[in-house]
Amino acid sequence: MLHIFYGDMQEAVYDPATYFNNQIQDAWITDSLSVEMIRDIDHSEVLGPHVIDSPVLGGISPRELSGGVKTLILINQVSSRIFNASACGDNCAKWLLKIANDKDVTINLRHIMDFGDDEFTIHILNTNTVVHRMSELVMIASDFVR
Amino acid sequence: MKGKYRVVVQNASVKFDFTIRRNITILKGDSATGKTTLVEMVREHYERGDDSGVEIVCDKQCVSLSGRDWKILLNAYKDSIVFIDEGNDFVLGDDFARMVEHSDNYYVIVTREGLPNLPYSTEEIYGIRMSGKYGGLKPVYNEFYRIYGSYELDGLIIPDIVVVEDTNSGYEFYQGISDKSYTQVISAGGKTKIQQIVKSLPDDNVLIIADGAAFGAEIGRVMSILKHRKHTWIYLPESFEWIILKSGRIDGKAVEDILNHPEDYIESSQYFSWEQFFTHLLIQQTVDTYLHYRKAKLNQVYLSESFERDILAVMEHIHLTK
Repeated sequence: MLHIFYGDMQEAVYDPATYFNNQIQDAWITDSLSVEMIRDIDHSEVLGPHVIDSPVLGGISPRELSGGVKTLILINQVSSRIFNASACGDNCAKWLLKIANDKDVTINLRHIMDFGDDEFTIHILNTNTVVHRMSELVMIASDFVR
Repeated sequence: MKGKYRVVVQNASVKFDFTIRRNITILKGDSATGKTTLVEMVREHYERGDDSGVEIVCDKQCVSLSGRDWKILLNAYKDSIVFIDEGNDFVLGDDFARMVEHSDNYYVIVTREGLPNLPYSTEEIYGIRMSGKYGGLKPVYNEFYRIYGSYELDGLIIPDIVVVEDTNSGYEFYQGISDKSYTQVISAGGKTKIQQIVKSLPDDNVLIIADGAAFGAEIGRVMSILKHRKHTWIYLPESFEWIILKSGRIDGKAVEDILNHPEDYIESSQYFSWEQFFTHLLIQQTVDTYLHYRKAKLNQVYLSESFERDILAVMEHIHLTK
């Protein structure tokens, strides 16, 4: 299940992109879910652990991936830390739900991410509430973030 | 700084072309649209000039700001456009807000969080998208688009309840409309409380009126709430004072010129937001006349029948009187 703490969270990594750049491991990039996320969000193809083919930038290193994809990879790979997922745009929302499909994942959000029109299961830690639609989520999250 | 500035930033792969016209511009939106790439290119050009391979065309110096020494760096930047990428949490703090308030720089800030200490406009919140103009060509051409610009009132709104941000003159005006069609006007007591008030009301012909010039930090969550309500709307003029100025009842070609191109008159180091400027302008234009405007207490002349009619005429698509 996806667990979300909305608002300021001292223990969360505020700048996941920098954390990623300094902690990156080869296996994170070639992981099948990472390959899918990089293809969907960055429209880029993983050629190997050190090279990614971007249609705009050409051959790039993992350090040049988008902040959103870096954060998604960290959330999937590093369970010991909580990351600020407001580094992710709405186009990352479905991947957060997918990562949390078969394991417990906790993230910090500092804005209202749109998880789409379909039903989902999200546990809001601030109020210990489980919600299934954006209309329910917004009513709670808007008390904690702008 | 005042005025609007076209900024073109490009290298062999990518080109950004946009115009900045207020002291604070926010970039947000989907991941992988080029926000960080833009700030990084500005940084590289500032460090190494044309030898960086980045070309910047702008009448003002473009710089980037990050890291622990941001205060020292910012003190050194004058008359510049300052780009700040996400991940720099100093943008949330009081110190940063104080420095922006009296700054002659313009700021372009990448963040999805609302920044409550900064009075930025709902109109100056942008995403970046690839332009179709030069499809398939390199460099890939990117442009800004207004995230909330597409939200416009559709049809005629005749509200039963009006929620206003103001507690002072603006509230008194809507409260005092003589022949009003709505049954209730509620003062939220400040922009941060609007979302709570709206959530407590039924979704039944509710109109929110807020000062768009300084509502940027709130617009994200309020629009998220409105997305799930069919009969609640929001109207975002620059400010109540802007509506009065726009009504044509304040004489002078100077006012008309200013309203047509406010960016050419509003000095960023003097006015934190355009809202402050329009209040100052209205007070200045009406001082020692029967129209004397005070923010704290509404001059009753603005509730006279003809004034009321002209002020309300500015509010397109909204019908507040019977």
